[in-house]
Amino acid sequence: MNRRRLIRMLGIMAFVVFLFFVPVLFDNVYWVSILIITAINALLATSLRTISIVGHFSLGHVGFMLLGAYSSALLVLKLGISFWAAFMMAGLLSALVAVVLGYPFLKVKGIYFAILTLLTAESFRLTAWNWRSLTGGSLGLMNIPSPSPISIPAVGIVTFDSESSFYYLTIFIVLLSLLALYRLEHSHFNFNWRAIRETDVLAQSVGMNVLWLKILNFAIACFFAGIAGALFAHYQRGLSADASSRFGVLTSIYLLVYMVVGGENRFAGPIIGALLITIASELSRSLAQYQPMMIGAIAIITVFLFPEGIIGLPGRLIHWYRYKKNGMSA
Amino acid sequence: MDLPSQAIWQGFFNGIALGWIYILMALGLTLIFGIMNIMQFAHGEIYMVGAYVVYYLTASNGVNLFVATLLSMIVMAVFGIFLERLLFRHVRGQVLSPIVVSVGLTLILQSGAVAGFGVYERSVPRLSQGSFEIVGSMIPKDRIVAVVCAMTLILVLYVFLKRFKYGQAMVASAQHREGAILQGISPNKMSAMAMAIGCSLAAAGGALAGSLLMLDPFMGTQPLLKGLVIIVLGGMGSLLGAAIGGMIVGLIDGLVPILFGPAPASLLPLIIVIFILVVRPRGLFGHE
Repeated sequence: MNRRRLIRMLGIMAFVVFLFFVPVLFDNVYWVSILIITAINALLATSLRTISIVGHFSLGHVGFMLLGAYSSALLVLKLGISFWAAFMMAGLLSALVAVVLGYPFLKVKGIYFAILTLLTAESFRLTAWNWRSLTGGSLGLMNIPSPSPISIPAVGIVTFDSESSFYYLTIFIVLLSLLALYRLEHSHFNFNWRAIRETDVLAQSVGMNVLWLKILNFAIACFFAGIAGALFAHYQRGLSADASSRFGVLTSIYLLVYMVVGGENRFAGPIIGALLITIASELSRSLAQYQPMMIGAIAIITVFLFPEGIIGLPGRLIHWYRYKKNGMSA
Repeated sequence: MDLPSQAIWQGFFNGIALGWIYILMALGLTLIFGIMNIMQFAHGEIYMVGAYVVYYLTASNGVNLFVATLLSMIVMAVFGIFLERLLFRHVRGQVLSPIVVSVGLTLILQSGAVAGFGVYERSVPRLSQGSFEIVGSMIPKDRIVAVVCAMTLILVLYVFLKRFKYGQAMVASAQHREGAILQGISPNKMSAMAMAIGCSLAAAGGALAGSLLMLDPFMGTQPLLKGLVIIVLGGMGSLLGAAIGGMIVGLIDGLVPILFGPAPASLLPLIIVIFILVVRPRGLFGHE
């Protein structure tokens, strides 16, 4: 058991080191930009999974990403606040909205949460699309500045206007956020959340404040969605709330698919799902028209054939192999 | 009020017509949910495909619009039974899997429509030409015809559920699945029927909307969302709730953009839904 943990730790560390050397190894703006988007997707999918720990499934996670993206961009553009403050405020605003919405949304049970989050995301998108004086309406927001330079001791002044420097910033923030979410999953909150998922009535009767714990969970997930949105806004430098933009319903669906295809039960599942699907769809760019179809088919096949997701496949194969071997010998 | 009353009346009648189309969506969704306990997030795509079936029948083959709508309803009913048998039956009783299957289906049908039908907007013939005058403003006749068609369908559904053996079996199955099984009502048969009826209602909605508005592969998203708002507003599984919720949502769509601009119109349904959830979580006419 200990050896397995060591191997896993070494694997993760090797992956992180590899991520930091990517811009050096592949001196290619195209792949660096793909990896930035993949990292943002991975953070979104992982924070979506955080909600699933309490047994709820959001179809509107992109709404909170939109909230983070627009609030960070507007704070920088209209009020002249520096990126670093605006970025945190974007996350906090998303979390605050999640608390306000979480109260009515999490009081009702069952499928309601998925319906309501879907409605929320589309309402936010349409508002951003129609509120011309604030968000530029159908023209969208443009000329969003890249993060302001900071001075780090021993390194000097660091600017973020090149692709690879933004890559390092994204990787740093995403890894930090993932670490925070991971630690949270190993804190006492997780115990309560899983109890709520299994049996909320019993959890309530032993004194857990079920509604508050659920709202807290939703707010934390939306905080990181807001952060991811802010990163996205300052990376893209322009935002549009078109139905076919990043903020459409499809993105929420994709995030759910990343989570399910990667494996919903394990922390690394959504990360692996986001990584594999984003890179696979980049590689099959010539078939762009059929991509949603393929992703939809992959999602349905995953549900029917290997519900544990990609991350459960090795374990399944080992199990199958052992079963077969024992079957032979017996 | 500096707005001409003409514009307001037109918004009102447009809203009513849209409202009845949304009610067709909501009834299908709530019927499927009631029997199968599955929220069909791909219902908007059924609506879209139904509208395209009507388009191809009328535009290429010159079939009469009403006949084409009926044929499209039958085609989509068969498609619904097929989907139930192939996909939804196997994920019943789970939480995450039905959501993933239905959104996966959304992706497949939507990009299938983009590939097969193209992204260009298309239109089917009008339901009826001309307009007539009510309270001093001109109302296009096709709005009235759409409302009458939708009302007729809903009336047929109501009579079916109240007076016919199979309709009563469906109501029983929705009320208490195990109890219905003990009475010899097969849940699989009821699920197939719910999908067939739900999908044909969506197809009818798509056909009516197609003749009032335009067709494109993404036309299903907004009616799906309106249908969901109606369900939450009116209460899951309530016919009366769906009708009243549909009128509210339709009128918001028709009037609020004219009176207050598009930005409040896009947030208002969400605000109403939140209000209803806080005050009366089971919806206006829902049961506990």
